[in-house]
Amino acid sequence: MEPAIQVESIEYAYGDKKAVRGISFEVAPGEVLGFLGPNGAGKSTTIKMLTGQLVPAAGEIHILGLPVRGHSSEVHARMGVSFEEKNLYPQLSAVENLRFFARLFGVNKPNIDGLLEQVDLLARKKDRVSSYSKGMRQRLMIARALINDPAVLFLDEPTDGLDPVSAQAIRRIIRDRAKAGCAVLLTTHDMNEADKLSDRVAFINDGTIHAIDSPENLKLLHGTRSLAVRVRRDGKAEDLHLPLDGDGDIGARLKAAVERADILTMHTEEASLEDIFIAMTGRGL
Amino acid sequence: MKLQRVWFLFLKDLAIGPRSPLLLFVLAMPVLIALVLHLVFGGLAAPKPRLAIVDEGGSALASMLEALPGVNTTRLGSREALLKKVEANDYDAGLILPEGFDRELRAGRKPILQLHFSGESYAVSRLVLAVGAIDGIRAVEGKEPPVRVDILRVEQGDPVPLTTRFVPIIVFYAFIMAGLFVPASLLVEEKERRTLTAVLASPARIQEVLAAKGLLGLVLSFLLALASLVLNGVTVRDFPGLMVVLLVAGSFWAVLGNLIGIVARSSEMLFAIVKGAGAFLFAPIIFYLFPDWPQWIARLFPTWWAIDPLWQMVANDAVLADVLVPLGVVILMSLAMVPLLAFLGARMQKHLA
Repeated sequence: MEPAIQVESIEYAYGDKKAVRGISFEVAPGEVLGFLGPNGAGKSTTIKMLTGQLVPAAGEIHILGLPVRGHSSEVHARMGVSFEEKNLYPQLSAVENLRFFARLFGVNKPNIDGLLEQVDLLARKKDRVSSYSKGMRQRLMIARALINDPAVLFLDEPTDGLDPVSAQAIRRIIRDRAKAGCAVLLTTHDMNEADKLSDRVAFINDGTIHAIDSPENLKLLHGTRSLAVRVRRDGKAEDLHLPLDGDGDIGARLKAAVERADILTMHTEEASLEDIFIAMTGRGL
Repeated sequence: MKLQRVWFLFLKDLAIGPRSPLLLFVLAMPVLIALVLHLVFGGLAAPKPRLAIVDEGGSALASMLEALPGVNTTRLGSREALLKKVEANDYDAGLILPEGFDRELRAGRKPILQLHFSGESYAVSRLVLAVGAIDGIRAVEGKEPPVRVDILRVEQGDPVPLTTRFVPIIVFYAFIMAGLFVPASLLVEEKERRTLTAVLASPARIQEVLAAKGLLGLVLSFLLALASLVLNGVTVRDFPGLMVVLLVAGSFWAVLGNLIGIVARSSEMLFAIVKGAGAFLFAPIIFYLFPDWPQWIARLFPTWWAIDPLWQMVANDAVLADVLVPLGVVILMSLAMVPLLAFLGARMQKHLA
């Protein structure tokens, strides 16, 4: 199957400072790729090159088989973008915002009410966006990104500022789109979100990709597992962490650790994506 | 470039316009300026003096005053009605002609004539009515005026009334505000709110965005300039020619507005540019107010060429054929700005990212 997003050795520099140094990756149709990295890692620059806002100094980008350079209109017609900034027209209503972008995309009969219902804004559809809360604007941003039923979706911090219920709804929409065959590239600082949503995640730092794999594989390959046990000994609670990887009989170690103690709770622990990111790049998110 | 997308972008800007206090202010200002000028200097909007007459004895003066072309005269039935209506400012003045007035006048007995003025009447109306009444009295009396007044012009050529001299300023303001400032401020606002980034992530191109903003500037400046001319009672010999002149000038200002909008990275910078360039932009207009100044200096300013064809048509009864040279210069200046616009537009897009 031809990748929906194909990036080969792209580079970009702001003056003398190289922001992206030869990044390559692919996203298949129906796949969600989480792009993780701290501020200044090259994440936004990469997204800007992918969405045609910046022209790479070197390398090639193909979206749906078309090179972005020279085909930006055709490529943009099939992609949806939700920016980190809530760049909606505040003087217009939700319906007017969506209708305007639908026209730009050449969508003749946009399902505006349907989209607004999905993001729970139908009741406020005629209100000016200037009266919306941050969360409502974010939901409208998602609806706008979907107005042209895109084959490729770029989402920058899609659940930023949302309450847990709204965030859940947005995640469901993203999953549904991916199931329908849409390739999704999302950037987020929320490791849990990346873990839950992404089929694969890419760790980017200093303009290079340090690792790209499924969250499970990254944890298996680069993380450590342990057994977390909370015991009560001499009337006091005590936390024990017993590594599951490495040598030794875990049964014997557990038996020795909980001797003369009551076990309160016991569960396995695995490394978080953040732990792995820090271990691999030496930087936090 | 897709014209349909330009149209959609234009419609969006048109929808935002009436919801922006700044744009409303910009559009209302020329109308307000025209009204202020009318109040200060008078004009077509100023009404003719209104005179009410109660003629109790069939005076010839009443008929004479009725025949005056510059006065609206109405006959009333009673003194009470006249005083009431003048007090209510339904009339600027009320004249009571008692029975036997003409006879007494001709006999040289100096009868009493009551001319009541409304407190709210214009000074110019009072003057016109008083002079009109005195002239009429002399005619009824059968006397010649003691002096003959010859009106001689001391200036060469047709004099241009002060109100007409203000027309370039008002129309220039319409062009600057609607043609230049509106597209520039909308563009800067889109950059500041990052909505331009969202638009450019759709199939729309920067050229289409600029074309839509320019179109809005052109349409608004054309309509506003036309409205300013109508409000100021301006008449021209070649109306279709005037339309062409307004369209060409509007295009020039719209292109210039787009250029300034591209260069300005923020609202503060836009205001600084407009303020800084204000003297340069407005300089040629001052020369119309002071015709004694050497007029060739005004030609050194590019904006003079964008306003002079209009001036020639408004003040000197010129037709389109008479203003083809300055009009050609304006078109050349506009065309020369287009490649610069394309270059700076592409550079702006890079800076947006």
